[in-house]
Amino acid sequence: MAVVEPAPSFAIGPEIDEAEAKAGIRGRRRGGNLGTWIPAGLIAFVVIACFLGPTLLSLPSPVGGNILESNQPAFSPGHFLGTDPNGNDILSRLLNGGQSSLWIALAVNILGLVIGGTLGALSGYVGGVADTLIMRVLDVLIAFPSLVLTLAVAQALGPSMTNTIFALAFFSIPAFARVARSAVLRLREMPFMAAAKLAGTPAWRMLFKHLAPNIAPQLITFGMLGMGIVIIIEGALSFLGLGIPDPAPSWGNMVATGQLSLSATPMLVVWPSVALLVTVLAFNLLGENLRARWSGR
Amino acid sequence: MTATATTPRVPVSRDPRVSRLTRVTGSPVLRLIVKRLLMAVPIMLGVTILTFWVLSLIPGNAAEQLLGAEATPEDVALLERQLGLDQPGVVRYLEWLQGAVTGDLGNSIVSRQPVSDVLADRLPVTGELVLLAFLISLVLAIPVALLAAHKPGGIMDRISMVVSTLGLSVANYVLALILVLVFAVTLGWLPAIGYVPLEDGLWANLEAMILPSAAIGFPLFCFYTRFLRGDLVDQMQQEEYVTTARAKGVGSWSVLIKHAFRNSSFGLITVVGLNLGALIGGTVIIEQIFALPGIGQMLLQAINTRDFVVVQAAVVIFALVAVVANLVVDLLYAVLDPRIRYGSR
Amino acid sequence: MSGERTVAYPAGDTLVSEGVIAPARAGRPAPARAGAAGEPLVVVEGLRVQFTRGGRKVNAVNGLSYRLEPGTMMAIIGESGSGKSVSSRALMGLLPPTAKISGSIRFDGRELIGLPEKDMRELRGGDIAMVFQDPARSLNPTMKIGAQITEAVRLHSDLDKRGAHARAVELLKLVRLPAAERRFHEYPHQLSGGMRQRVMIAIALAGEPRLLIADEATTALDVTTQAQIMELLVELQQRLGMAVIMISHDLGLAASYAQHVVVMYAGRAVEQAPTQTLFANVRMPYTHALLGAIPALDREPHSLFDVTPGQPPDLSALPKGCPFRPRCQYATDTCLQAPPLTEHEPEHLWACWHPVGAGAGHNSANGEQR
Repeated sequence: MAVVEPAPSFAIGPEIDEAEAKAGIRGRRRGGNLGTWIPAGLIAFVVIACFLGPTLLSLPSPVGGNILESNQPAFSPGHFLGTDPNGNDILSRLLNGGQSSLWIALAVNILGLVIGGTLGALSGYVGGVADTLIMRVLDVLIAFPSLVLTLAVAQALGPSMTNTIFALAFFSIPAFARVARSAVLRLREMPFMAAAKLAGTPAWRMLFKHLAPNIAPQLITFGMLGMGIVIIIEGALSFLGLGIPDPAPSWGNMVATGQLSLSATPMLVVWPSVALLVTVLAFNLLGENLRARWSGR
Repeated sequence: MTATATTPRVPVSRDPRVSRLTRVTGSPVLRLIVKRLLMAVPIMLGVTILTFWVLSLIPGNAAEQLLGAEATPEDVALLERQLGLDQPGVVRYLEWLQGAVTGDLGNSIVSRQPVSDVLADRLPVTGELVLLAFLISLVLAIPVALLAAHKPGGIMDRISMVVSTLGLSVANYVLALILVLVFAVTLGWLPAIGYVPLEDGLWANLEAMILPSAAIGFPLFCFYTRFLRGDLVDQMQQEEYVTTARAKGVGSWSVLIKHAFRNSSFGLITVVGLNLGALIGGTVIIEQIFALPGIGQMLLQAINTRDFVVVQAAVVIFALVAVVANLVVDLLYAVLDPRIRYGSR
Repeated sequence: MSGERTVAYPAGDTLVSEGVIAPARAGRPAPARAGAAGEPLVVVEGLRVQFTRGGRKVNAVNGLSYRLEPGTMMAIIGESGSGKSVSSRALMGLLPPTAKISGSIRFDGRELIGLPEKDMRELRGGDIAMVFQDPARSLNPTMKIGAQITEAVRLHSDLDKRGAHARAVELLKLVRLPAAERRFHEYPHQLSGGMRQRVMIAIALAGEPRLLIADEATTALDVTTQAQIMELLVELQQRLGMAVIMISHDLGLAASYAQHVVVMYAGRAVEQAPTQTLFANVRMPYTHALLGAIPALDREPHSLFDVTPGQPPDLSALPKGCPFRPRCQYATDTCLQAPPLTEHEPEHLWACWHPVGAGAGHNSANGEQR
């Protein structure tokens, strides 16, 4: 290695800047591990509470409550958070509602990740006409007002959990596809890709062996943010009466029915709202944190 | 001596189509407009076809809805024929398209009113809502982001970070209800629901619009604050022109506002433009909560009554807004960014 | 030694002989440390700069000392990571607040370390100006170049808008930008690399600086343009009587234009001397290795360049003693003690226990080298 640098070096200026940038960001995220573990723990707590809570606490059924027990305040005997106007236990509805929110969010994101991710990766890898075609179709889906589409699909298929999942998958797919495609486009320029190609690696092997592991982190990170988004939109659908059908509970329809008596019994809105906020916040924080890590900041 | 005194050099393209286009339009900005408009056409076609297809999947039609459950199949068939619902989907789409390109969006199946009349009533409401939401979000986001970026890791930066993280995790319908609970139910400062047209007085109108536009605007504010703060910090720390400005002796606020913000504003414009499409979808639920007679409310009603002509019109409007917003962003870019204005890059 | 080398650049003196230069302070003043009339303009003593990067402490500058006489051109030479750029940014007060700076930097008798930002700002772009490496990135892409110059002019003068405009055009003419009036209204991307660097120099001159720091100012330019810009800098330096610190990794460039050379390695000066003295008798093995890596016309075809093995040192874990020790062919156990930078010969300082060809230490080394 020669002592005099072989090419003009841009090192020093940017190097300092980089150091500063890192220092600045580190200052903001002191204890990078906590930033991952706190939201992850919160998510674990929500998941355990929603799926095991009703059994562990032997809560009453979320539906078919006794109308005589309606509108009981919080901490009343047998009803920790009280009851709603139909006499259903609010805590039970909250936890059971959370189950559907989490299932839907998970299913939608997995569908989006697998289908959208594959489409996007293929599109970016193959390029040419196929790429243009796929991207134009996705452009249409993106220009299409997503809520309208989901409303229409939900209406067409009738409100149910499966149908909500299909409706929401419609617009998670193009989003994942875009992320995957841009990641693949960046990867395609990398030397190791050229090397693998020169070594005669077949296309399917390139996709699964070289591309997939490299774009997976980005897709999963995006999926974390997507969980939050889907939980919110599922809530919106249920809020409009097009998601989880009454009387089955969901955070969205709990907010919607609570809204009818907002001034009299505000807690009916507050509990599902807090559940929504905490869950979405945890997913967003985790997603942001992972993204910050992957992008090397 | 002005900027326009220098004639921009348009790079000669090898592609004959492009060069013909260049000859016709002359300037790079015009060329960009034409290109974008041409790209918008297939998107709009795709969106409308998709809507038609999705709507055709919905069981039941307006005839059944209008006549109710007791109607005989013969009655339904008759009304279907009258409404033209017995035609195959392709025929109906082409007829609709023919009308749409001449500006005729058809008549509402349910109310028989021309859809354009309905839109004329509803668009201003949604338009005002969106405009106010953008205004609120940007007027707040720009100063907050500047304060935060001036001292990364400082107290303002931390506060804005916490607030925006929370704000981005709140569903807008939840936020709307919280706002109503606080400002209408508890404090009684503002009306909880309802719409007051502008003719009944500007203040009365604004009073009714503040909460709904805040419910839409607040998450936007959070998003823009984060985006702008991040971009400003990147500019300040990674761009050499910032060092040059500092080396000139420019003060830290001036560097931030005159130099970094100027460059960051391009990114902000893009984000704002891209948001518009998503945002207008978000108005559906807010209009529903606040009982605002806008496009979103119209759309929900139309879906429930299977008034597909109106649904189609609403979708066209929403998609058009998204497409036009993208176009406007590109144009603003072209006008503001000298690198594009002069045809290089 | 220096006689063997072919210098690719025309000597800076040509401009003087052409009579382009104003007489004031035009002649080459005596080199630094010669004790010429008056105080040195810049005195750097024991400068240290430390960054914390990823929890590790990075010692970018480790006790750098030099002095610069007014109206002279000095070159600071070193590889990337040698601290040459960081030390000059410390001089400008341009380091991030996270950098720990200690030691002393005196400009015109005034201590700059710890100077309040307000005073530092007046100095920046005023008495001390800087030209950066990459003119494509150093100019604000969204501002007309005229506006970028007038901004600097107005910050350091009482001129009104019109006066500042006139002054800016004057500056553009001073740096020989063709069609200055027209260029005033253009954006950076419309200019070539060389023209952009001329604009950068015009901005730097706006505050009539007494010290101009050119940080790799010609590195990003092609060779012809590089020579033109260097000519311009030398001309302006002599015409305006400013001092110039030229930061470069290019020893040849330094030899052609600077009157004094400081060679940096691992954040400290390892050899410094007036240019003539230095190239006549290179003492520090590192400088010697730098010279050996420059292609020369009289070199035998296809002969191998002298190559110094190893990497520049890791600034967060410097070796014990002399930082060049792991790469140095003359290293002995003595080198586990850091050699001080001492004036071993008149005006010639080096920090080495085994200087090349200095008689002391190793006698065989000189013959081995060439």
